Amino acid sequence: MSDQSSRRVVEIGPFHPLLEEPVGFSLTVEGERVVAIDARMDYIHKGLERLAQERTYDMVPIVLERICGICSVTHSVCFCNAVEDLLGVTIPPRAAYIRTIIGELERLHSHLLWVGLAGHFIGYNTVFMWAWKYREPVCDAFEMLTGHRQNSALPMVGGVRRDLPVEYFPAIRKILDQVEGEVERLTAAVLDDPVLAARLKGVGVLTPEAALDFGVVGPTARASGLDTDVRRDEPYAAYAELDWKVVTQPAGDVFAKAVVRLLEIFESIKILRQCLDRFPAGEINLGTLHVPPGEGIGRYEAPRGEDVHYVRSNGTNMPERLKVRAPSYVNIPSFKASCLGAPMADVMITLAACDPCYSCTERAITLVDSAGAPWLAAPKLLEASRRKTFELARALGRRPDLDIDRADGSGR
Amino acid sequence: MDAAAVATRMEEAFGDRVSTVVRSPKRLVASCAPADLPEVARWLRAALPGSRLATSTGIDLRDGVGLFHHVAINGSPLVITLKVLLPKPEPHAPTLARETRAAEWIEREIHDLLGVTFDGHPDARRLVKAESMAETFPLRRDFDPAEFKERIGERPEF
Repeated sequence: MSDQSSRRVVEIGPFHPLLEEPVGFSLTVEGERVVAIDARMDYIHKGLERLAQERTYDMVPIVLERICGICSVTHSVCFCNAVEDLLGVTIPPRAAYIRTIIGELERLHSHLLWVGLAGHFIGYNTVFMWAWKYREPVCDAFEMLTGHRQNSALPMVGGVRRDLPVEYFPAIRKILDQVEGEVERLTAAVLDDPVLAARLKGVGVLTPEAALDFGVVGPTARASGLDTDVRRDEPYAAYAELDWKVVTQPAGDVFAKAVVRLLEIFESIKILRQCLDRFPAGEINLGTLHVPPGEGIGRYEAPRGEDVHYVRSNGTNMPERLKVRAPSYVNIPSFKASCLGAPMADVMITLAACDPCYSCTERAITLVDSAGAPWLAAPKLLEASRRKTFELARALGRRPDLDIDRADGSGR
Repeated sequence: MDAAAVATRMEEAFGDRVSTVVRSPKRLVASCAPADLPEVARWLRAALPGSRLATSTGIDLRDGVGLFHHVAINGSPLVITLKVLLPKPEPHAPTLARETRAAEWIEREIHDLLGVTFDGHPDARRLVKAESMAETFPLRRDFDPAEFKERIGERPEF
């Protein structure tokens, strides 16, 4: 199958209703095997960096919240970390706890969103429905605390803009208890399911060496055994005072990435409970700060990994240069290591395993080679992924979706 | 290892070819000539286990285009910024894509936005910029959005 005539290019993307951002992948395949992969990123370069350079330090966090529909807290807090690094200031404890609470709520709903999408890609729509159902109360909690399901508009340089309504804390605790129980059930069902283990183990392996070479971050790196987490390495907000642990897995496959994310959900709930218990009194910001000339680097552990902002000030009230590096920017190129040689049916879930603010395959077009071989139709990639799951399930003599009775604990 | 310790080791290894400024225990700035960039990058990778290229920043300065490589280390708060100044009007720098694949995309992006040519880059295609911007570099100081809009936005060609 190595002759050139059997090579085809399969285009994935760039637009699909499930996509948060448009991104295009070109897979070069020989028969079933992927031999080359390339990504195109130029669809929505919004020029936000330049836009932020024309806004004051007070306005920039609001602009940066719009970078990502999921990680809204991430970029605004990361920018604040960068400017606070430049200034050399420490924010008040209450502000640190508020940043931690909104950041962890964001991680919770982002990880649940990924678990749902991952289930969808391999034909486990029960997981999809469950995970997104459990995500709703987390978004509700975010809305109760900040007034919006995604964009809080809270972070500002030197603290946060508004206080959290402490009278809602009992309700938040109740939501956390509920979500923890449900996610425990989901985790047990996912980790015990033999079809899922057969489907995801050994798929899309990213070795630790490749992970370091591509500089991948977050759950993608931790699932390849790299012990890295900005929350512990360079504690910002209140993480230094809290009791939690970094979840790592050695295998580097899609299953390991799922395990890391599922277990991190429980760490997030643990962090949130501690924050609610210890919520300190006092000021919530340092007031208006003058930013002198200089430069600062801010880092933040987003749900998808380390976010980096570089800020350079020339003494005016606007940054002279703001560089934003989102975690997916380094995670996406690692597909070149994890997808090569993989069968087509595994590509969807391998691409999705990095949680790359992108998803699916419906709008794929195919370039047919000169011999005029049949078209490889668009939705077939997703279909191939699901068919492989069904075949595995049949071979194992099981139903091709989660065994709901057993997951309830009522079956068997 | 904190910033001062890394600065000492860098000075031992490179002498006056690298100058360092310790901004804080977790922030180190090192400057070198563009030609020394790959060598310094290789040294950092070997000397600091778990180090990776977090990202790079390009910035249009008065004397040239500044190229700042930010190196982070897994498990450490230290971030090392490796700075070089590339003279205008045609800034070019040696690529780091052969030292670490993490440099591939960010160098393509800096080429798109600032027009820096990376010598020896294995795949120097356009990454983030719209096709219509061609040889326009939006993060250069002489870029005029109004002029650009008038040139291509107001009169779309069909």
